[in-house]
Amino acid sequence: MHPITDLMAGDHRACDGLFAAVERAVARGDWHCATNDFRRFAEAMARHFAAEEDALFPLFEQRTGIYRGPTQVMRGEHGQMRQLLAAAESALAAQDAEDYAGHAETLLIMMQQHNIKEEHILYPMCDDRLGDETGSLLPELQRRTGGGQKDLR
Amino acid sequence: MRALLSFDQAPPLAAPLRFFLTAPLFSALAGLLLLLAGPQVLVSRWTPGALALTHLITAGFMLQVMLGALIQILPVVAGANLKHPLLVASLVHGTITPGALLLCAAFLLSDRLTFEVAALLLAAGVGVFLLAAGCALYAVPTTSPTSRGLRLALPGLAISVALGVLLAGARAGSLPLPQATPLHVAWGLIGWGVVLLAVVALVVVPMFQMTPPYPESFARFFPLALLGMLAVWSLAESLSGGALATALSAFPVGGVAVFAALTLDLQQRSQRARMDATQHYWRWAMICALAASALVLAANVVPTIGERREWPLICGTLVLFGGFVAVMTGMLYKIVPFLIWLNLQNLGQGRILAPTMNRVITAKSVNQQTIAHFAALALLLAASVSPEWLARPAGLAVLVASGWLMLTLLRATGFHRQHVRRIQALVANSAA
Repeated sequence: MHPITDLMAGDHRACDGLFAAVERAVARGDWHCATNDFRRFAEAMARHFAAEEDALFPLFEQRTGIYRGPTQVMRGEHGQMRQLLAAAESALAAQDAEDYAGHAETLLIMMQQHNIKEEHILYPMCDDRLGDETGSLLPELQRRTGGGQKDLR
Repeated sequence: MRALLSFDQAPPLAAPLRFFLTAPLFSALAGLLLLLAGPQVLVSRWTPGALALTHLITAGFMLQVMLGALIQILPVVAGANLKHPLLVASLVHGTITPGALLLCAAFLLSDRLTFEVAALLLAAGVGVFLLAAGCALYAVPTTSPTSRGLRLALPGLAISVALGVLLAGARAGSLPLPQATPLHVAWGLIGWGVVLLAVVALVVVPMFQMTPPYPESFARFFPLALLGMLAVWSLAESLSGGALATALSAFPVGGVAVFAALTLDLQQRSQRARMDATQHYWRWAMICALAASALVLAANVVPTIGERREWPLICGTLVLFGGFVAVMTGMLYKIVPFLIWLNLQNLGQGRILAPTMNRVITAKSVNQQTIAHFAALALLLAASVSPEWLARPAGLAVLVASGWLMLTLLRATGFHRQHVRRIQALVANSAA
């Protein structure tokens, strides 16, 4: 049983699906669709970051007493991804496919190496240490992330 | 748990980068050797030139990329931090580089002392790495199939290198020649190479190529099953050899084919808009692995196929240049620009956005090098059949493709140096 890992990794995959939808729209040159899809992607990312920073991480820190460990690193990486999201959004607004591809590719690698750390290390530790909290924590994470249910079209 | 909790301790850029920059030097030397020595190298797999060529790729290119990448990814995928990563990187790189060069010189010169020094250096470098990586991996609990798989891959390297040392000792005349070559090859390529590649693929194929995940049962059992099949074959090969060993060899080879076919199937279902060079490298590497597996199995069934002069050369080319070198080159095109971007981004302290990855290494340069690589592969395969005409052109093509890779990576480090200065100046100005 890895309910936290399953829920949060599922939300990662949902965000990936939205990222790919934007990429496909840009490849077709459908800027209107790309802009709409990007908005959904950026919102999903923001909700995921907020669920971690406001609900999951504080509980993990409280329980383990480790405030300057992995959660701090994850927060730092969220900041870097927010910057890349903003830069990609500007490229999209300027309808600059090459610039968008550059920011998006960098964001994808950043996002996935971040996800690997969370899914392989941090979430399993959360499952291990916060197992008795899942009754209240899981619905809270589901509510904040949108339950991993994204409109993937 | 404390050990696991410090996965922020990514090694400094210089630790893995030295391995990635050195790797293409070995494949370029392989091309140069074939260009200069010509058709005589390809008379059989046992010529000094062919043995040197093989080890320039395995103990040179492949070992550099694999150890450099592991130093980088152990903290990321397994939370396993090497203690003193820069020191470990210096010691390992400082020994395996001259070790692999001397090993190839020893094959060419048939020189006893050179074999002994080469074996000593390679064993020392790999030993330091195994000790450091083993300590890091066993200090943390296994939290995923990846960290379990990484633990399983390390013994394959140890076995292959140990058998290599015995074989080098025999060539130097200081040990009796053991019948260990098939075991040395199988443990190096499958027990270490394919197991490590599969464990890495479990993570990177679904996440970076946006494919469905590998089936859970495959992720959980494949590395162990492959090693088990290899161990059973090894036992039969050492004790009796003959028909039983030949029959049993079909299992690990079939396992490799299953991994390649599964990866190709997943790639077909990628959500990404279009395939980039890295994905092309992966796809062709898997096709080459399937072709090589089919050739090995065909030779098991019809022994006359395996007795043909060109058979081992074609298999070796498919596995080494078509498979491992291809997939590693493809991954270098993601790893190196990302590490450089990350380093510059951290240097900018969140105030200055680093130039994106596609400016560190441009897609145009990557695409051209990819074409050069596969042209070289086609020429190498053709040269295995007709060495008289094609050995030197194939050598030149390998030299061009490897030189191109080396130049691309060196340009990326030049880009890094240039932007370090720019970002440092901007940060100093913004602080003033």
